[in-house]
Amino acid sequence: MKRKSKKVIEYTFLILLACIFIFPMIWMIASSMKPESSIYVDMGSIQSLLPSLDPSEWFQTYQELFSRFNVFQYIFNSLTYAIVVTLGSIVVNAMAGYAFSKFNFIGKKVLFGLLIALLIVPGETLIITQFTVAHDLGILNTRLAVILPMIANIFFIYLFRNFFNAIPDEIIESVKLDGANYWTIFWKILLPMSKPAIATVGTLSFILSWNDYLWPLMVLTDTEKFPLQVAITNINSTPPVFTNQVMAILTISTIPLIIVYIVAQKYLLQGLGGSGTGIK
Amino acid sequence: MKNINARENIAAYSFLLPALILLGLFLLVPALIAIYYAFTDYYLLTPDNRQFVGLDNFIAIFKDPIFIQSLKNVGLFVVCVIPVQIGSALGLALLINKQRRGNMFFKVAFFAPVVLSLVVISVLWLYLLNPSEGLINVILERVGINPQPFLTSPDQAMYTIVFVSAWQGAGYQMLIFLAGLQNIPSSVYEASKIDGANKWQNFIHITLPLLKPTSILIMITTLIAAFKLIIQPMVMTQGGPMNSTITPVYYIYQTGFTDRLIGYASTMTVVFGILIGIVTIIQSKVSREDDSK
Repeated sequence: MKRKSKKVIEYTFLILLACIFIFPMIWMIASSMKPESSIYVDMGSIQSLLPSLDPSEWFQTYQELFSRFNVFQYIFNSLTYAIVVTLGSIVVNAMAGYAFSKFNFIGKKVLFGLLIALLIVPGETLIITQFTVAHDLGILNTRLAVILPMIANIFFIYLFRNFFNAIPDEIIESVKLDGANYWTIFWKILLPMSKPAIATVGTLSFILSWNDYLWPLMVLTDTEKFPLQVAITNINSTPPVFTNQVMAILTISTIPLIIVYIVAQKYLLQGLGGSGTGIK
Repeated sequence: MKNINARENIAAYSFLLPALILLGLFLLVPALIAIYYAFTDYYLLTPDNRQFVGLDNFIAIFKDPIFIQSLKNVGLFVVCVIPVQIGSALGLALLINKQRRGNMFFKVAFFAPVVLSLVVISVLWLYLLNPSEGLINVILERVGINPQPFLTSPDQAMYTIVFVSAWQGAGYQMLIFLAGLQNIPSSVYEASKIDGANKWQNFIHITLPLLKPTSILIMITTLIAAFKLIIQPMVMTQGGPMNSTITPVYYIYQTGFTDRLIGYASTMTVVFGILIGIVTIIQSKVSREDDSK
């Protein structure tokens, strides 16, 4: 009996705790699926966490949102940025990792030391001079300006280098004897053997790019180039502001991430925890 | 170094080239020119009038009450968010680190906020915390607690941002702690059971010490991220009320981007960047000493 009541208390506690973590998300989705007035009528009752009782109203908000704003364009922009950054990041950082792992070249140690030292430089504090560089390059208000700074990443280079280090040199030497050049070795031998590293870097790059806000906000002025994250604050400050429409754009911008987290869950931890003491 | 030949050198540098160009353009060059601009009065709209002003900016920023306020604010944020977020993460990991029906549900629930971007959580909580009609105050009133001003009060705004940030980040670190917990072999606990240790003693003398490497890693990454706080105050409070949530990176953004005072903003970048750099080095030194023990 005592054990049973202990279990009841334990589960009650866990469920209450779980509610704290998930009710905002449920309220967000529920509020996007009901008329504006119902949100405030329902507030505080259990109905505030449920969509409208009339299913025909569920997607009305979304229709209104799509007719007021070019949401398809924002989705397309975010997807384009994220996909290009992800592919670019895999190729560029894997190439650099390959050079550090399998080549002897002049300045290797110095260059690698410099990269590790640059890890300490807090990127976000550099936004102003990054902006002046983009200004001087003449790429402000272009899609290129959003994409380029997101591609090279020292941590990802390090991750690829460590992964390639674990691939025995003998494999590479043997294909070299068969006459393969460096590019073939990289493209046909190393990359196909590195699926876990590619998945980790790819997943993290996609999420970083999808969630990027400050930089696109700074470099873009045309709304039709905005990614979703910037569109959110734009919609939230374009009168008239409707709570249900804001919740709808929040929901839309979250759906791709839910998919990514479900599909790639086992690679996410390797980005940080799995690499032991990681960034050093 | 043997076997160095020209062909290998050329090949290596061609593989490095794209990464080096991009890192150079968007990391190294911005860092170096920030140091240079810090000593000038560069105003973006009159680039030709740029003049060397020596240490003027450095003296000015330390007399700038908003910059000082921003340092205090981010200090408060760091001091609060580290124990709250890491403590919650460890607590949650311990709670779900056992065989139990429905455990998977709890794990997913605790992790759910991680999936939301910082912009999404900021906008979402802005609505939930609305003082007059937000869900939180409606619930508080139901259970007999007075409505709170939250983000609209200079006394509560930063603590509210601490809560929202910890709420979002704890689930990710919970998973890292959980991986650390599951690496502790059960034989260790069995041995201590034979010695008659209770659960609390187990936790203090076995679990915590063995989690130390994991904790240090989490500490360093959280600390650095916390110092760079900008999106939550930018979206939720615009630095207010009464500058109570303005942070250094946000102030750098305002002076450099909104007001176009590149020189002045660069000075703050240099000073604050060095500050973060020092903290990072101290942190990783401490953790390395721990590793070698």
